[in-house]
Amino acid sequence: MARRLTAERVARARSQERAEVAAHLHDSVLQTLALVQKRADEPEEVAKLARRQERELRSWLAGEGPARPGERVADALKAVAVEVEEQHGAAVEAVVVGDASLDERLEALVASTREALTNAAKFASDGGPVRLYAEIDSGWVKVFVDDRGPGFDTETLPEDRRGIRESIIGRMERYGGKAEIRTGNGEGTEVELTMNVETR
Amino acid sequence: MSETPTVVIVDDHRIFRSGVRAELGEAVEVLGEAESIEDAVRAITELEPDVVLLDVHMPGGGGVEVIGQVSKARPQQRFLALSVSDDPKDVIAIVRAGARGYVTKTITGDELADAVRRVRDGDAVFSPRLAGFVLDAFAGDLPAEEVDPELDQLTAREREVLRYIARGYLYKEIALRLSISVKTVEAHVSSVLRKLQLSNRHELSRWAVSRRLVD
Repeated sequence: MARRLTAERVARARSQERAEVAAHLHDSVLQTLALVQKRADEPEEVAKLARRQERELRSWLAGEGPARPGERVADALKAVAVEVEEQHGAAVEAVVVGDASLDERLEALVASTREALTNAAKFASDGGPVRLYAEIDSGWVKVFVDDRGPGFDTETLPEDRRGIRESIIGRMERYGGKAEIRTGNGEGTEVELTMNVETR
Repeated sequence: MSETPTVVIVDDHRIFRSGVRAELGEAVEVLGEAESIEDAVRAITELEPDVVLLDVHMPGGGGVEVIGQVSKARPQQRFLALSVSDDPKDVIAIVRAGARGYVTKTITGDELADAVRRVRDGDAVFSPRLAGFVLDAFAGDLPAEEVDPELDQLTAREREVLRYIARGYLYKEIALRLSISVKTVEAHVSSVLRKLQLSNRHELSRWAVSRRLVD
């Protein structure tokens, strides 16, 4: 008797689980596929929809808990990568090693990263994906933003690139960090951000 | 060793296999395809390709199972894992089973052909994401008495090379930045691969699980 009850319960749980999976796929993947068909003549839009759906499905499949971009630096950096990708339509590939709690200085680092990614996404047209690599160790956090765009001359910073001086270099220095930019005409751009912190 | 490398493509999705074939073009000779573990083992032992392009997920045990069965008959067979999965568990498992590299399915045809050549020549191929996983897996200090310095730790240079790979640099660009030869870069990556495959580092076995629990 007890065994039959258990079996029924298991069967019920299974069918419930199936229904949840079906509902999830319906709301996400099927919706996106429908949108993709409708917008088949807009390749950029289709790529964006596909990337967004891929990200969403991956995180669902991985059973990841909700991201905490307000608390953890790894989640915060991944969130700005997604934000820039959505806003500018350029693929942003993020690899983050390690993690730490966010504090004021790390928030400044995340904001500078957003600015560096935005610059890269705007100017790295057709240069392949923008790459974000971050490493969080005990005592320091480093962020690299690399693009294969046309690069520029740092001496004669063009007007539309002034954001770099203020929003990246200025901000990092105000919080005791450092920003280095390596670029040249036709050579792509690398931004290296360093912040010393007490991690954990 | 500069002849066109030969491959067998193992993947349970036909659309994907034909996609890879088309992407590779003339740069790589595709000797055959297989869509199940049995087919794969038969095709590989018969056709003896330089490199097997191997999907991680397939019904009945996936790429790890293929490597296990083929290696009995052809211990020298080289495998390159090509997968849509970026779950660290899958990635680390297939590399520890013996794959000489791991690339994701979004790789371009040229990059894939280059990766095949490298694996054929005995080198290792890491995607940026795999480099990130490895840096993560080897992070943190172990108690001195538990460390086998040969296998459980990366050298400073190996870390440096992995960081560049995680940032999307090509081997020749890394060589230029570090003022070393491409051969030396390859030697560092091969050494990291060996450590990844052989280390008993506590984190490596438990790592994928613990990542989810600890933060």
